[in-house]
Amino acid sequence: MRPAESSGAVQWRLVVPAVLGALALLATLGQGAALVITDVLIMVLFASSLNLLTSYGGMVSFGHAAYFGLGAYGLALPLAKLGLPLWAGLALGPLAAALGALAIGALCVRLTHIYFAMLTLACSEIVFTILFQAYDYTGGDTGITKFMAPRLGLDPRLYGALVLAIVSACLLLLWKVVRSPIGLAIRAVGEEPHRAAALGYSPRMVQLVAFVIAGTLAGVAGTLFAVYQGNAFPDYAGIGFTIDALVMVVIGGLHSFAGGVYGAVIYTLLKTFVSRYVTEWELVIGLILLAVVLVSPAGVAGGLGRLGHALGRRSA
Amino acid sequence: MLEIRDLHAAYGRSAALHGVSLSVGPGEVVCLVGRNGVGKTSTLRAVVQELIQVTGGAVLLDGASLAGLPPHQVIRRGIGYVPEDRRVFASLTVAENLRVPVAPARGAAARWTLGAVYGLFPQLREYRGRVAGVMSGGEQQMLSIARSLLTNPRLLLLDEPHEGLAPRVVDEIIAALLALKREGVSMLISEQSVRTIKACADRVYVIDKGVTVYHGTPAEFEANPEVARRYLMVAEQGG
Repeated sequence: MRPAESSGAVQWRLVVPAVLGALALLATLGQGAALVITDVLIMVLFASSLNLLTSYGGMVSFGHAAYFGLGAYGLALPLAKLGLPLWAGLALGPLAAALGALAIGALCVRLTHIYFAMLTLACSEIVFTILFQAYDYTGGDTGITKFMAPRLGLDPRLYGALVLAIVSACLLLLWKVVRSPIGLAIRAVGEEPHRAAALGYSPRMVQLVAFVIAGTLAGVAGTLFAVYQGNAFPDYAGIGFTIDALVMVVIGGLHSFAGGVYGAVIYTLLKTFVSRYVTEWELVIGLILLAVVLVSPAGVAGGLGRLGHALGRRSA
Repeated sequence: MLEIRDLHAAYGRSAALHGVSLSVGPGEVVCLVGRNGVGKTSTLRAVVQELIQVTGGAVLLDGASLAGLPPHQVIRRGIGYVPEDRRVFASLTVAENLRVPVAPARGAAARWTLGAVYGLFPQLREYRGRVAGVMSGGEQQMLSIARSLLTNPRLLLLDEPHEGLAPRVVDEIIAALLALKREGVSMLISEQSVRTIKACADRVYVIDKGVTVYHGTPAEFEANPEVARRYLMVAEQGG
């Protein structure tokens, strides 16, 4: 049974404190913390874009980093090789991801379930390999560097605030999409593709639309990440980033809009801080993942929802 | 309106239909009866091209063949399909379920609006904020029918609409079907109970082992108990 998210209104009493809280942290904690917070915010967008596919569209993609990587290279390549201005790169990053998602998605939605997942994996490996091997154009594993000042040369706190604004806007847009008629169609196809077809939808077409929206938002995250780092490496499109996003969504909570947000915050902070003290930080993540799957399959979001219910009942 | 001629269909390599022929006229309610597993569901699925492959014969809607069309295109030509297991979108609310169907083609008269289906099933309006997955079987069936009506079909296919429902709920569904009939909606209903046939059928087809074996009016069907005994009753021991 999936939790209900019937109310279409944006829950401002959750959103406003979260945004203000992030701003306060950015302002008060100093430059080092601002870098971590920015990293978290970018991953929030990346994980949430994957969450559209997994939680609403019923599609598990094993290749979502391809669009993150295309977002990064869509910015870096035109700037480094063609000398285009920054604004053009900022537009071309998400555009490259959108076009990549359109081409790859059109192929992948022809299959379902594990076959869909394998196709997405294969396609992302192709993207990774091209970025890795086309040395003359992409620099291979040395990546593309020194094409711009990291973070546009801004103070980390200022860039963090900029990323916060963009990520918040993208999440609001995603929320609107999920509640829109096309979002309803995405959820309907994700749940019962045959029934959605029996109501006049082409399941493949609806899935492709979801795939392109998710890919484009992953591309925005990738572009922001490339600006943040001031570089682009093939790894950004690699299986590592894909698995990161999948783990974030599972920890955060499948079938919940906030799942990507919770998961990205928890995972990125753990990765950052646990790895400072424990070399085997992946082991810690593994144990947490194990606990989540066994104790609360609906992730942190599902657990919080149940806690809220229990508290509400007690006070009532 | 709908004409099925010597239809053969199969799931992969296992054949399910070996010669189904029937027709549904404008405004007509036709019942397709038969025991479990003889091809009632397969016949309806073959019309909407869902999960089954048509291997021979023809399905014509207003004279035009539906062969090779994907399911959503069949629906857009004016056929509504309410499957056996209802399959409401469990995580969506009632109101959201009713917002999913695609709007009818331009120029087509939209007889069935949200207000009209709420008028037909007042419970749905009452429960519109409720998550569909937690509703009773009868309420889900009403939602499933309402959802299909919103595609404004000229012909509605219903697969055992009363299966597993309490008698009181069956009465409500039958009342709704009669209301639809008065509105002139053509229907093809797969059915095992004689009750629906008596209540609303204009004609009856009996199907057995993937072949239509009998055809008549409800009165003829009732006057011919041998047919019901042979094709509807549970098979005798060893028979």
